[in-house]
Amino acid sequence: MSVGGAGRLGRILDWLEERAGWSFLVDLGKKKQVPLHRHSLWYYLGGMTLFLFGLQVATGILLLLYYRASAEEAFESVQFIMAKVPFGWLIRSIHSWSANLLIFVLFVHMFSVFFMKAFRKPRELTWISGMCLLFLMLGFGFSGYLLPWNKLAFFATQVGTDIAGAVPVIGHFALRFLRGGEQVTGGTLTRFYGFHVAVLPALTTALVGLHLLLVQKHGMSVPPSIEAQRKAGGEEAKSMSFWPHFLLRDAIGWCAALGVLAALAALFPWELGEKADPFAPAPAGIRPEWYFGWMFQTLKYLPAHILGIEGELLGILGIGLAAMIWVFIPFLDRNPAPGNPVSRLFTLAGWLALAYMAVMTAMVYLPQGH
Amino acid sequence: MRIPNPAPVSVLIVLMSFITPPLRAEEPPSQPSGPLPTETSCFNCHSQLDGAALEPTVRAAEDIHFQKGLSCQDCHGGDPTAMDDMDASHNPKKGWTGKPDRLHIPEFCAKCHSDATFMKQFNPRARVDQLSEYRTSVHGQKNAKGDGEVAVCIDCHQVHGIRAISDPRSPVYPTNVAQTCAHCHADAKKMDPYGIPTNQLADYKTSVHFHAISVEGDLAAPTCNDCHGSHGAAPPGVDNVTSVCGTCHPREATLFRETEAKKKMDLSPCIRCMVCHSNHAVLAPKDDMLGVGTTSTCTGCHAEGDNGYAAAGKMAQSIETLKGGLAKANALLDQAERAGMEVSEDRFALQKAKDGLVESRVLAHSFDLDRFLAAANGGIAATDAGVVAAKKAFAELRFRRVGLGLSLLVILAVILALAMKVKELGARPRV
Repeated sequence: MSVGGAGRLGRILDWLEERAGWSFLVDLGKKKQVPLHRHSLWYYLGGMTLFLFGLQVATGILLLLYYRASAEEAFESVQFIMAKVPFGWLIRSIHSWSANLLIFVLFVHMFSVFFMKAFRKPRELTWISGMCLLFLMLGFGFSGYLLPWNKLAFFATQVGTDIAGAVPVIGHFALRFLRGGEQVTGGTLTRFYGFHVAVLPALTTALVGLHLLLVQKHGMSVPPSIEAQRKAGGEEAKSMSFWPHFLLRDAIGWCAALGVLAALAALFPWELGEKADPFAPAPAGIRPEWYFGWMFQTLKYLPAHILGIEGELLGILGIGLAAMIWVFIPFLDRNPAPGNPVSRLFTLAGWLALAYMAVMTAMVYLPQGH
Repeated sequence: MRIPNPAPVSVLIVLMSFITPPLRAEEPPSQPSGPLPTETSCFNCHSQLDGAALEPTVRAAEDIHFQKGLSCQDCHGGDPTAMDDMDASHNPKKGWTGKPDRLHIPEFCAKCHSDATFMKQFNPRARVDQLSEYRTSVHGQKNAKGDGEVAVCIDCHQVHGIRAISDPRSPVYPTNVAQTCAHCHADAKKMDPYGIPTNQLADYKTSVHFHAISVEGDLAAPTCNDCHGSHGAAPPGVDNVTSVCGTCHPREATLFRETEAKKKMDLSPCIRCMVCHSNHAVLAPKDDMLGVGTTSTCTGCHAEGDNGYAAAGKMAQSIETLKGGLAKANALLDQAERAGMEVSEDRFALQKAKDGLVESRVLAHSFDLDRFLAAANGGIAATDAGVVAAKKAFAELRFRRVGLGLSLLVILAVILALAMKVKELGARPRV
C-alpha cells in the first residue's frame, strides 16, 4: 500500500517506508490528541521553544565555520563574521536574538505549565526534565555571552563566576572549574566554547529526547479547573489531532517567530562592542544578560551582612533553595484540585515569584540612582 | 733615659702648621660636623634675637641644608660650641666669615655646590656645574663685572629656608619658576637700567605652555628656564631659536633644517620659530595660521604674486579639504554605525587620514610644498575611502531593509498558505 502518495516524491517516500518504516511517525501524529479548551494557546509554547532551539543549532553550526575560540582571535573572528562573511551579520544576529527569545519563551512555557498544574502526577519527570532543560539553556546563555570576547561579556563573566565562587564548600572549585584558573582568561574562553558547542548540546539533545518522550507518553495535561468544569457539566472532552491540525497551527507560530527574528536582526543587528582587555578597568554599569538580572539585582540589594552571615552568601543560598523548591514542586503541590487551599497557596507563591522576577529585572534597567 | 732634642720637633710642628692652612669658611666641610643644627650656639643665640638677626632661625626647619644635617657653621664658619659667647662663636680663627656680600654669593654657595666629592655625600647625581654655568649667563657676566644688582643664587633659591627643587613650594619648582623670574623681570624699576622689557610674564601667561604647566599640571611643559637655561640664563640668539624650540619639537626643527640644507639657503632670521609663533606668548597653533587669510602668519612675509604666497594658499586649502573630508567620513561612519552596521575596520582605516592631517601640520614647518602635499593628499585619499566605505555601508543597509521586506512577504505568504490549509482542513476535529 502506498503511504507516500502519487508522484515522484510519493515514490521516494514509499521507497523509504519499505526500508525505514517512517509512517509510524505520521500514525503517531494522527493518534496524538491535543486537548481543546480556553487555555489551549499555552500548548504552543513547547513547540515554539523547540523551533527556536533548532534555529539555534542551525545558526550555531554556521557560526562555527568562521568562529575562532581564542582570546587573540575570537573578537576579530566575530568582527569578520559581522562585516565580511556574506549574511554573517544575519546569522549572528538571529543566533543572538533567538537565544534571548528562546529563554523568554522557555520562562513563559515554564510558568504556564506551573499555573496549569501540568506537573502533577504522572508528569513529575516531565516537569523535572523541563526544569533541567531551562538550566541548560541558561548555561548556553552564560557560556555563549563570553564567546565574542568583548569588554562587557568579559567583566560580566568575571562577576558571574565570582558569584559561583561564593557558593559555600564547592565555590572555589566551581570558580576554578568555570574559569580554568583563578582569573578569567583565554583559557576560560576555550572552556566556555567547549561547554557551549559540545557538553551542553549533548546534554540538551538527550534531555529534549526524554522530555518529548514523556510528553508523548502522557499526552498533554488538562488544567484541573477545566477537568472539574467538564465533570460538573458532564461535557465531553474536546481535542484536535496533532497531525495535521495542531502542527499546522504550530508552523504558523514558527513562521511568525522567524519573521520577528528577521526584523530584529535586520533593524537591530546584535552589537559587538569593544574587544575585551583584561588590564582595562571594569566599565561602568556591568550587568548580566536580562535573564540573570533578577538574581544579580537581589544580590546587589542585600546588605553586606545579615545576622552575622555574609549577605551575598545568604542570597546565593536563598536563590538555590528557591530553585530546589521550584524543581520539586510536583512533590510538594501534590493535590492541585481547584478547591484545595494548599494548592492555591502554591499558585499564589508562583504569582509572587513571577512578580518579583519581573520587578527585579526591570530594576536592572532603571537609570542608576533609582 | 735620653731626652730628645726639642728643636727638630718644634721646627716640624711649625712647618706642619704652616703648610696646613687653617680651616676657612671658603672650604667645604668634609662632612656635616659639630652639634645638631638646632643645638648650636648660633641657633641658640639667634633664636633669641630680633629682626634680621632672628631671620636665619625662623625658616631653618624648611631648609634642605638643615634637613641634611648641615648647620650655620658649615657655611659661615665659627665655633658652634661656644655657648653665650659671641666673640668665641664668631672667632675668625675658627673660620668665621660672617654674612657674605651679595657680589660673592655665587662663590660662597659654590664652595660646596662645585665640589663633586662633597655633593656626592648627599646625592650621587648632584650637579656641580652651577657656578660655571652661572658665569656664562648674563647674570653671571654682569656679576663678574661688579654689578651687585643682578640675580645671584639667593634671588631664585631664597636664603635660609632653601627648599629642595623637587619641593612644589620651592620658588624654582617648575610651576613657580615664571613667577620667580618675574620677581625681577616684571619690575620696571629693576629692568630699566638694562633696557629689558617687563612684559614677559604677562605674555607667557597667554601661552599654550603656561596653560599646559599651570592649568593641566604638565610639568614637562616649558617655563622660563627650559628655553633660557637656569644657572646659565641668557636670551637665546636668533640663530639658536630653532635649537631651543627643537629640544621639545624636534620633528619641526629637523624639517626646518632639512629644508635649509636641501635648498642651500639661510632661512634665518626671517622664518625662525618666533616669527610665526611669538616667543613668550606662544599661542596654541591653529590651522588658520597657515594660508593667506587675515589670521595667517605667512602673509607677514609673503605678498600676493610670490611663490611663498601661492604655496601657503595651497597648503591651507589642502588642510581644509582634509579636515572637511575627515569630518564628513566620520559623520557618515557614525551614522552607519548607529544604524547597526559594522564599520570598525573602515573607522580604523580612517586613522590614516588623521595621521595625514597631523603629518601635514608638522610638514608645514618644512616649507616644502611637495612634501606637504604628499602627506595631505595621502590623508585626503583616506577620507575619500572612508566616505566610499560609509556609502557602501548605507547601500548594504538598504539591501538589508529590502531583503527584510521581501522575506517578510514570503513569510507572510507561507503563513497565509498555512492558514488556508488549516481552513481547508475544516473545523477542528473533535473526539
